[in-house]
Amino acid sequence: MNESPHQSVETDGTATWGEEVVEQMTVYGERAGDALLYSSAYLAVIAAVELAIVMMLLGIQSNPAPVVVAFVTFSVYAYDRLVDVETDEISNPRQAAFIRRHRDILYLMASVCYGLAVALSVLGGPFALAITLLPGMFGVLYASDWVPNVGVRFARFKDVLVVNTAVVAFAWAVTLTFLPLAFAGESFTPATGIVFCYFFLRSFVDTELPNVGDVESDRASDVSTLPLTLGIRGTRYALYGVDLASLGLVVYAVDAGVLPLSAAVALGLGILYSLSLVSRIGRTEDYEVLSLASECEYLLVGVVLGVLVFI
Amino acid sequence: MSALSQLYVVVLATVGIGLTAALLAWRERPEPGATPLVVMLVGQSWWSIFFAFELQAPTLAAKMFWSDVQWVGVVAIPVAWVLFAMEYTGRDQYVRTKYVAALSVVPALTVVFAATGDYHDLLYTGSELTQQGNVEVLRRNGGPWYWVSAGYTYLLGLIGSVPLLGYVRSETSQFRGQSVALLVGTVAPWASNVLFLYGAVPIPGLDPTPVAFAVSGVAYLGALTRFRLLGTSPAPNRRARRLVFERMQDAAVVVDSHDYVVDMNESATEMLGTSARSALGRPAGDVLPKYDYVPSVGTTSEYVTVDGRNGQRHYDVTVTEVSDFHGRNVGRVISYHNVDEHLRHQQRLEVLNRVLRHNIRNETNVIYGYADLVADEEGPATDRARIIKERAIAIADMGEKARQIVDTFEQLRKETRTVSLRNLVERTVVDANERFPRVEVRVGALPTDVRVNAVLGPALENLVENAAEHNTEPDPYVELDATVSDGWVRLVVTDNGPGIERHERAVLERGTETALEHGSGLGLWLVTWAVGIADGTVEFEENGPSGSVVTVEAPTLPADEETEEPAETAENEQTGTESVGEMDTPPNSGESTTGDD
Repeated sequence: MNESPHQSVETDGTATWGEEVVEQMTVYGERAGDALLYSSAYLAVIAAVELAIVMMLLGIQSNPAPVVVAFVTFSVYAYDRLVDVETDEISNPRQAAFIRRHRDILYLMASVCYGLAVALSVLGGPFALAITLLPGMFGVLYASDWVPNVGVRFARFKDVLVVNTAVVAFAWAVTLTFLPLAFAGESFTPATGIVFCYFFLRSFVDTELPNVGDVESDRASDVSTLPLTLGIRGTRYALYGVDLASLGLVVYAVDAGVLPLSAAVALGLGILYSLSLVSRIGRTEDYEVLSLASECEYLLVGVVLGVLVFI
Repeated sequence: MSALSQLYVVVLATVGIGLTAALLAWRERPEPGATPLVVMLVGQSWWSIFFAFELQAPTLAAKMFWSDVQWVGVVAIPVAWVLFAMEYTGRDQYVRTKYVAALSVVPALTVVFAATGDYHDLLYTGSELTQQGNVEVLRRNGGPWYWVSAGYTYLLGLIGSVPLLGYVRSETSQFRGQSVALLVGTVAPWASNVLFLYGAVPIPGLDPTPVAFAVSGVAYLGALTRFRLLGTSPAPNRRARRLVFERMQDAAVVVDSHDYVVDMNESATEMLGTSARSALGRPAGDVLPKYDYVPSVGTTSEYVTVDGRNGQRHYDVTVTEVSDFHGRNVGRVISYHNVDEHLRHQQRLEVLNRVLRHNIRNETNVIYGYADLVADEEGPATDRARIIKERAIAIADMGEKARQIVDTFEQLRKETRTVSLRNLVERTVVDANERFPRVEVRVGALPTDVRVNAVLGPALENLVENAAEHNTEPDPYVELDATVSDGWVRLVVTDNGPGIERHERAVLERGTETALEHGSGLGLWLVTWAVGIADGTVEFEENGPSGSVVTVEAPTLPADEETEEPAETAENEQTGTESVGEMDTPPNSGESTTGDD
């Protein structure tokens, strides 16, 4: 006799009401966790936190920029996951399965979010609009083989070593730094430059680190990444270098009086946290968790900064 | 919240909805209409975005700048709308670079005039700020090109709407919903723009068209999601119909009401040995063979012969009228159906008919005659001569049945002839009583004034013969019962004979024979085919404890115009001519008497 693929748990009626609630919460919690993780919604939250950090660092009044960035982040990553669902089958089968199962609703949500982001960015004026459109346009160039109606075929940025990561890091650094500035109508200052460089370097690490786990799928799709070119060990040293450059930048900013010490402490803690994660490259098998932990660096920085500022 | 703030919120909503719809449409590429729809929705969003910037701008120069930038979106919308309508309704032959370029001339000039507005008054003759409450809004006076551009926009709007209007009453609910949503989405901003042009808006000088795009966005989103716009589209319909006409095996020529050739398909050009380019526009009499004999409508009674490159070809010609919406005749479709294969088949049947009707009968007559002579000489050969005579009769009967089958299929070519059901049954009974005097033939009450296809005559005769001939019971009988209900005749033939073997019934039901599975003769095949030709059905069942029940159901028919043939002739037609066994013509010599080999 064939066994049913679904196993049922016998309940003898002794399960308490509280146990049932816990079980239900566990089931729904797992589903919500999957949705948050695989749909890229958690990245939207992290991006909003990053923007809040920028606003605190630059002393900008509250405005809709974090919401715009959250929407854009969700959209761009959701589109990217939809485009790359086949290559992700190798490196991240659970995510690929989730994307396939919810393909239509995910596309609809990404479209709605991008539409809302652009509409909200109009409130910030032309520069805010241009900055909001930037990640979308880079997303097309990064992920697409095809640019509409110009008859020219571009190589995907994704396929060119370092450029691919630099483009993504640049797009995010521009968005994170200049969008709140555009909304607030404030001008460029040395502090803005420091913040821009800081986020460029941090985003570089965040973008390159997941590539360590994607070696097989990137090799299959001819994407050129640091782990493929320098190897695992080489990548670790390269990212150590980027982290140390970030640390140097923060030290310089404090020394030059561009950033307050409290901010530098928060950012420095984040970099130390990142160094500890980079040291795990080549020493762990679970790069999915490592990438997730790396992206959460800003949650740590945000909490520390918030505590230091408000205390 | 002030009126302007509310306006601002609606404009932002318009941007959000428009871009969402554009992204959804983008995903549907390369479905027909997807790309122009994306351009149209992006154009609407563009217009709205820069309209919002115009509202935000603090100075006249800034407001004028954003107002000019809006033109890129403004002029893209009508061009994209027309291209969308053409692609979506299957007229994509108009969506080609040269047409797109031609359509874009006026829009491109408009954008150029907007960008160079400081140097001329073509687009605007003047711009000023007017105070509305505590807000200043831009008011501009249109120049000559402004009205050209507005007129062009409305013209393209109309051109794009026409093919879509055709689907408002489509039989497919999805297409109805799609076209209505699209038209609503298009009419809303244009109606708003018309109000603006007539100065009937609450804030003078402020064009509220981008606000109406909120309605458009919702309508297009609804069409995309609710009615699966781009998921299912009528684009193939027109092509499919054209394809059927182009690729049909019959040659088809369309002539207008003045007898000029206006269209023809590939088979027609092949048949006529010409090209469409040289034939179209010429008088039909110059192009079509024997055009004077072509009826105004209906089918020709004679075949039309065409001398082509591959020799002589024969065609059955059918003419169908083409009427316009008001029922007026605007032309005709003349279709030529090649009947060469049919004619060859008919010739084969005629030869076969002659062989069965004359040659086999004559040969069996000779065999029978000689066997008779041998039987007259008493001795041991008498029994053998009897067997030869029986076999000769069997061969002649088989030939006769085969001839009946050929005759039955010949009926397919002819106009249906009807006979009285009552006469048909009575004749069959009379014949059966003569041929099988040992068998009791019973008949139930017969309906009067009912006519059926005459082809049922041989069918019934063979059923009764099959029931009576092999019946070896002590009290053999055959029962005929006929009833009529709802325009159908139900004829039931019951007997108490040995019945029809199960495997033979199976062969008849399957409709084909193989070397291993086959029937025992031709009679039941004749029944099956004849009933089929009469549009009826036949069922074979067992009759306990012995015998069979055969049920024939066929439609009743109205009386035809021709009078029924005399009983004698009809009887002969039903049963064939007299049987070989009744002929007693001794041969003059051992040679065949037939001379038509």
